[in-house]
Amino acid sequence: MEHNSVIANATLIEIYRQMSRIHEVDKAIQAGLSSGKFMFTYWPMTGQEAIPAAIAPLITEKDHMVTIYRGIHDQVAKGVPLKGLFAEALGRVDGVNKGKGGSPHISDPSSGSMLTTAIVGAGAPIANGLALAEKMRGTNNVTIVNFGDGATSIGAVHEAMNLAGVWRLPVIFMCQNNQIGEYTAIPDYTASENFTDRAEALGFRGVKLNGNDPIAFHSGMKEIIADVRAGKGPVFVEAETLRLGPHAGVGWSHLIKKDELAAAKAAWPVPATRALLLERGICTEDELASIDAAAKAEVAEAMEFGLASEATGTEEMLLDVYGDPDVVPTRGQRTVRAAEPEFSGETKKMAMFEAVQDALDLSMQIDDQVYCLGEDIGDDPGGVFKCFVGMQSKWGERIRPTPIAEQAIIGAATGSALVGMRPVAEIMFADFVGVCMDQITNHAAKQRYMSGAATNVPMTVRMIAGGGIGGFGAQHSQSTEAMLLHQPGLKIVYPSTPTEAKGLLMSCIFDDDPCIQFESMMLTYSMKEEVPVGDYRIPLGVAKVKREGTDITLITYGWQVMQCLQAAEELAKQGISAEVLDLRTLLPLDYDRILTSVEKTGRALVVHAATEFCGLGSEISSTINETLFTRLKAPASRFGAAYAPIAYSRVIETAQIPNASSIAARALELFK
Amino acid sequence: MSTELIIPKLQMSTTEGTLAEWLVDDGAIVEAGQEIYALETDKSVQEITAPESGKLVQKATAGETYPVGTVIGEIVAV
Repeated sequence: MEHNSVIANATLIEIYRQMSRIHEVDKAIQAGLSSGKFMFTYWPMTGQEAIPAAIAPLITEKDHMVTIYRGIHDQVAKGVPLKGLFAEALGRVDGVNKGKGGSPHISDPSSGSMLTTAIVGAGAPIANGLALAEKMRGTNNVTIVNFGDGATSIGAVHEAMNLAGVWRLPVIFMCQNNQIGEYTAIPDYTASENFTDRAEALGFRGVKLNGNDPIAFHSGMKEIIADVRAGKGPVFVEAETLRLGPHAGVGWSHLIKKDELAAAKAAWPVPATRALLLERGICTEDELASIDAAAKAEVAEAMEFGLASEATGTEEMLLDVYGDPDVVPTRGQRTVRAAEPEFSGETKKMAMFEAVQDALDLSMQIDDQVYCLGEDIGDDPGGVFKCFVGMQSKWGERIRPTPIAEQAIIGAATGSALVGMRPVAEIMFADFVGVCMDQITNHAAKQRYMSGAATNVPMTVRMIAGGGIGGFGAQHSQSTEAMLLHQPGLKIVYPSTPTEAKGLLMSCIFDDDPCIQFESMMLTYSMKEEVPVGDYRIPLGVAKVKREGTDITLITYGWQVMQCLQAAEELAKQGISAEVLDLRTLLPLDYDRILTSVEKTGRALVVHAATEFCGLGSEISSTINETLFTRLKAPASRFGAAYAPIAYSRVIETAQIPNASSIAARALELFK
Repeated sequence: MSTELIIPKLQMSTTEGTLAEWLVDDGAIVEAGQEIYALETDKSVQEITAPESGKLVQKATAGETYPVGTVIGEIVAV
């Protein structure tokens, strides 16, 4: 160990006390697993104890921490209550997250441990959001995101570091370099000589510290944390250490050679720090034994508490998917939600892009925690879809143009939402959801559930669905809602008019769960109507009849509403009276209004621009068939896009997506 | 009081383990944390440590393969 740094004796004792607690937790879990007392997957952090222990005296519960599945040491040192931690690892009802997250998904806002991810590297973009919230609120709180050296290979970390650099966020990227990424060691997964150069390349400081030397590491971190608190921007820390255990399981790593293991154990900071305290005369053996005994007793009590707690039962299964359990689409459920009252106030003529801007602007006026982020949303151009023209000059840093980095965008939104901000992110085309799917589905969507409602993510993401216009090609034209509907935790709206785009967006922004608004390129500029002025909201989960009819219900949403209304005109010429039901919200789904309409008409065709196979239409028509079997005049069916990427050729595109005449033709088949 | 020793599930893929070797004699006194047997799972050998201090009672033969959850011994408090 290097002993040239200055540290108060009391601080070093406190650091050792944290190391002892971490070590006792590690021992208790390994003992329980190897004796078969309990079973869960454990990723030991043995060897890395000094890092969070040395940081602990420098931060408070107001400073945020994000870590990974291996980060039990980070949780212990951050102050997550051990009773709740053990109960959580065992999947018990008294866990900090009701046993629904488990050890790889701890969230404990009371201690500042905000999120734990089991997706390598994915915490970094979210940490940016936590740091952004603190920066925008003008505090001097810091955010520390822990990850292993293995995570430096993944794109999310690069995107996050780049954004943190350009926004000078108060975040510390704590790379616990334990020399191995799961089972693959450093020379085999990167040709980099070091990791700190990556931060330097992105315009901020990278510092390498010995993570096994609590004195030197504490001293280094003291200066770094002070700088970050003072607003000097992010720092990347490479904390050199060694993982003594396996990737998963118990005991020593079999990937460390036998002859090297002895040296590794000698450098292990837990016994080494204990020996140092003795050697320097800072503590007597009795004093150290007393620290260890207290840690052991605390852990034993916590373990006993965890084992005595009941396994979380099935009554919790559908709770915490959303704030309101009625949103969960369960078979046979027919929740009745009140529609918005008839509007009689002042209106103004707007296109959809103007109505969206109106909703954003009003929401920002109503609540100072609302802000917007996305690519090119600053002036000029004010957003590629012109939804932000003039907004940046009006709102300043609450309109945040971002790098072209969708994972960084969604992560920043998620992190800031975790501490109560209400971000609205634009990711341009709906096809781009593919590059930020992990952030949306594994993190934003699952976070309320994984945290047992200890946290929630009140963010909104807007995306534009191309299609039907021609010339955008396969990667800018798809309607991707089915991918997101398959992910429990998201609410999804898909308006078909400027008024509804405004009313639904405002409801999304002030909803406490992550919401996605799809906007149709087809409607963005072409359709204009009188839109209510001022705070106007349409409740989520309420469909609306756009044309009344008696013979068939065309159930649809987005720009296909227009197609269905035209199809209804064609059907009328043949003596068929079609009702057009605009879902407006896809989740929560308004089964009550769907079934009410089909009970009247006896026939149903669900129409959407998304691929027919495994689309929402299949789900809805199946439910109609099961629920109204004896009352149907024909089996309910669905009609979506042909099973092919959207073609560049306008001839193909026109034919592959439902249009007025093909919808009318499909509807007629239900009358044969 | 005694603590059972059970073939642990060390990895997601583990369904069985071979008790490669007892590292401590039957009836010997062991300390918590002391390596007491070698377990071979998924082609790697792991030394398993004693969860408690006490007298080791062996209940299974080395060299045999057992499913996860099998009781292979116990540690009796002394």
